[in-house]
Amino acid sequence: MDTATNYSEKKLKIIGTSPVRPDGVPKVTGLAQYGADFSLPGMLWGKILRSPHAHARIRSIDTSKALALRGVKAVLTSADLPEQKFEYVGPERIAVNFWHMTRNIMAREKVLYEGHAVAAVAATTSAIAEEALRLIEVDYEVLPHVIDVDQAMQPDAPLLFEDMITRGIVPAPKQASNISKRVEFKIGDLEAGFAAADEIVEASFKTAAVHQGYIEPQACLARFDADGQGEVWSSSQGHFIVRTFTTRLLGMKTGDLRCHAAEIGGAFGGKTVVYVEPVAVALSRKSGHPVKIMMSREDVFKATGPTSGASMTIKIGVKRDGKIVAAEGLFKYQAGAFPGSPVMNGCMCGFAPYDIANVRTVGYDVVCNRPKSVAYRAPGSPISAFAVESTIDMAASKIGMDPLQFRLMNAAKPGTPTVYGPKLAHHGFSETIEALMQHPAYKAPLGKNQGRGSACGYWFNGGGESSATVHVNEDGSVVVATGSPDIGGSRASMALMAAETLGIDYDKVRPIIADTNSIGYTQGTGGSRVTYATGLAVINACNKVIAVLRARAALIWNIDVEDVIWEDGSARPAGKRAGEFEPLPLKAIAAKRSVTGGPISASESLNAGGQAPGFAVQFCDVEVDPETGHVKILRFVAAQDVGRAIHRAYVEGQIQGGVVQGIGWALNEEYIYDQAGHLSNAGFLDYRIPVASDVPMIDTILVEVPNPNHPFGVKGVAEANIVPPMAAIANAINNAIGRRMTELPMSPPKVLAALDAGN
Amino acid sequence: MARKPAHVVFTNSFSTDYTGGVKEFDIEATTLRGVIKALDERYPGLGEYLEEETTVAIDGELFEVGYSQPVRPGCEIFFIPKIEGG
Amino acid sequence: MAKHHVTATLNGNDVEFLCETHQTLLDVLRDDLHLTGSKEGCGSGDCGACSVTLDGRLICACLMLGVEAQGKSIETIEGMAVGDKLHPLQRKFLEHAALQCGICTPGFLIASRSLLERNPDPTEEEVRFWLAGNLCRCTGYHKIVEAVLDAAREMRGA
Repeated sequence: MDTATNYSEKKLKIIGTSPVRPDGVPKVTGLAQYGADFSLPGMLWGKILRSPHAHARIRSIDTSKALALRGVKAVLTSADLPEQKFEYVGPERIAVNFWHMTRNIMAREKVLYEGHAVAAVAATTSAIAEEALRLIEVDYEVLPHVIDVDQAMQPDAPLLFEDMITRGIVPAPKQASNISKRVEFKIGDLEAGFAAADEIVEASFKTAAVHQGYIEPQACLARFDADGQGEVWSSSQGHFIVRTFTTRLLGMKTGDLRCHAAEIGGAFGGKTVVYVEPVAVALSRKSGHPVKIMMSREDVFKATGPTSGASMTIKIGVKRDGKIVAAEGLFKYQAGAFPGSPVMNGCMCGFAPYDIANVRTVGYDVVCNRPKSVAYRAPGSPISAFAVESTIDMAASKIGMDPLQFRLMNAAKPGTPTVYGPKLAHHGFSETIEALMQHPAYKAPLGKNQGRGSACGYWFNGGGESSATVHVNEDGSVVVATGSPDIGGSRASMALMAAETLGIDYDKVRPIIADTNSIGYTQGTGGSRVTYATGLAVINACNKVIAVLRARAALIWNIDVEDVIWEDGSARPAGKRAGEFEPLPLKAIAAKRSVTGGPISASESLNAGGQAPGFAVQFCDVEVDPETGHVKILRFVAAQDVGRAIHRAYVEGQIQGGVVQGIGWALNEEYIYDQAGHLSNAGFLDYRIPVASDVPMIDTILVEVPNPNHPFGVKGVAEANIVPPMAAIANAINNAIGRRMTELPMSPPKVLAALDAGN
Repeated sequence: MARKPAHVVFTNSFSTDYTGGVKEFDIEATTLRGVIKALDERYPGLGEYLEEETTVAIDGELFEVGYSQPVRPGCEIFFIPKIEGG
Repeated sequence: MAKHHVTATLNGNDVEFLCETHQTLLDVLRDDLHLTGSKEGCGSGDCGACSVTLDGRLICACLMLGVEAQGKSIETIEGMAVGDKLHPLQRKFLEHAALQCGICTPGFLIASRSLLERNPDPTEEEVRFWLAGNLCRCTGYHKIVEAVLDAAREMRGA
């Protein structure tokens, strides 16, 4: 007899409540340990020397004076790391090329951006390490640089890689350029589609690079012992990623590095790669001592991946009755110093919310002298959505239709083909638009200089490899171990799902994140996949434990296991033996584990599929100050199809957090470079992220259209909410002052210029 | 009675890079392993690429590429670039 | 260069330490006194993750030198709970899910306590402006503000 694995029909006891998270007390008392909070006896301080130039050839590096400084125990350059083969491996969208990666960790022939790592030292104090950096002599031959994506695509632009031939073009171009890749997606017949349109809207847009803005700089502690075994404690979204990348970059065996996931102070995609870990392990290897490295805030801005800035053109054809008949998008994304912008995601997601028969998206991945771009919350999708959703708004306006009604009319439904091929398989988008339209404030009147704008967004959401182990303690409490670093409160969700499945109290479940030696392989935390995929592993492991508990009860009662069910946290006799024995709760069976077969535990490792995409629909009210160009957010309402909210408050928190990041992206955040290719605003004072006084309360609407492929109906929630805000705000500004902002950020000087120009 | 073959579709860049522009195939198979094997027989080397670098959508549902993934008669299979999040 | 010898009061206890001239109070707290609850987010006083109070005044520990602590009274996050009894603000942050990654939380708690000591009945706007010196990237501030207002209510006995 199988234990039920789909709970969507059952009444749930604790799923959907908001209990206190299990890792909460250490965080409010300052005891939780983040990447920079670890230390070991004999620890050295590691520091990294970085390029002052945006683009230069490295003629030579002389580390002799640094090595001679008293207290310096090791100096590292790229000469200490093995060369890597040049090949793109793995998924095309984020193809990793270790030849590039090792050069980003430590420059070889050239430095490609200001802040590019060139050398590193480990010394007995932080001050000595800093002094040692000053003693390293690097002979640079400064080269011309290029920052802007359109300029980097010009035929006469300075080349970052003299042999870069654009991939994705057939026949391959003869001349090298900064365009690393071209991608194209197409369905239907574009010409026929536009020919049938009553109105055509076309516009071009530009966005700036923005940083994930996590408050915690990258940091780690590493140890390398004389027997070749290493250990790392770092703040990462994936300690298995840390292990894979670090061992590869150092020429170590994968299993020789034990990686621990420290608590992490924000990530949003930016910590799915490595920067300091390979350097710290290599320094530890060279010096024979543990090494701690912490990046400074300036280094974080200069040398860790922001997301791409972009240059885009969108064209949409509509019929007067509101049907979108054709859509086309051109997306040029900055990759930074090495290939790998999320332009393919942008091409795939931009028009995904809509049912359009004729669509074409073309994307270019362009290198330029900036830090290499890295994932930022729904990578690529917020950027293309700014352009697409602004143009959608313009199209709705042209035919005189309410913007949300326009979106509802064209909303993708199950069976709608995406531009990249597969037909949408999940409900949820239309329901979310409808829920938003019903918000009481959607029809509220607006005052002078005030405007309302809406937008929507799509994100794939991920499945993938996760492992979980569940074991029962002697007192009937339960440990749930997974390999998924907790970046948003997922331990609480794991505990909720385990408690619901086992039928025990939430506070009887201890969720932990195990290190790479202690749990099965698990892909990184990102892509809104943990509650779904790791949750599935946890639920399945719990069901395996339930099977064991039923067997133990059967043994205790001396009956057939087919006559034992598990219900409400206890084994109960059923079928022909119903009522013969008192129920045995988990605690009682745990107490009898020894005579019934021994310790009770189970594991599950899986490669999850069947996840549903995320749809977010939002509207906001703004007030524009015509004297200063300042935009005030008066109200922000964000609706999202969340499948089923496991921990209600954390789901709301994800939406609120993503929206506020979007507000910063829309109104203030940007990388500002000077003529020499130096970053002018490498700190929180001038790289202005939203503060508490910049934003109002964020209203959230959780639409629950359960995913039938998950026992609790889970859909990933963390990322889709950052996709719409920039366009929603641009559309609101247009509604307020009749100016279409086509460049991000829409900061006061730009809004003022738009007002003055009367454009 | 003949089992209706699965209809396999590649996106544009896949077909350009690996199958000389051919985008759609009818493949007889009961598992994804069978599909990949059949495609690899036609285009040697394609199998490894599909295994390592794609996600598969079967009638719209996304799955990681797995040998034992069942393939229903007449289903529509898309191999798409693998996903990444932030 | 000889280190400086400093005696001060830390979370109500006598403390003494040696520090170099250039070391900030934050460096001393974290690296020498092993109190890692105060965090370094920026090192330039812009993020508030290192918020502590100095003789009752809210400051960024990264903007003060260790030597300047001589004879002063410092309160850090580690002193906020009394034994196993959490401060109402700590409890409310947990109840309201006002933290996600938690790195900014110690700073917010110290800053909020400082606000409520001065203004036990703040408006939402007053809370937001007081806390404008503390950056959070995860929560969007919504639940933080709710937690502070709720804690203020409880502390007023309202």
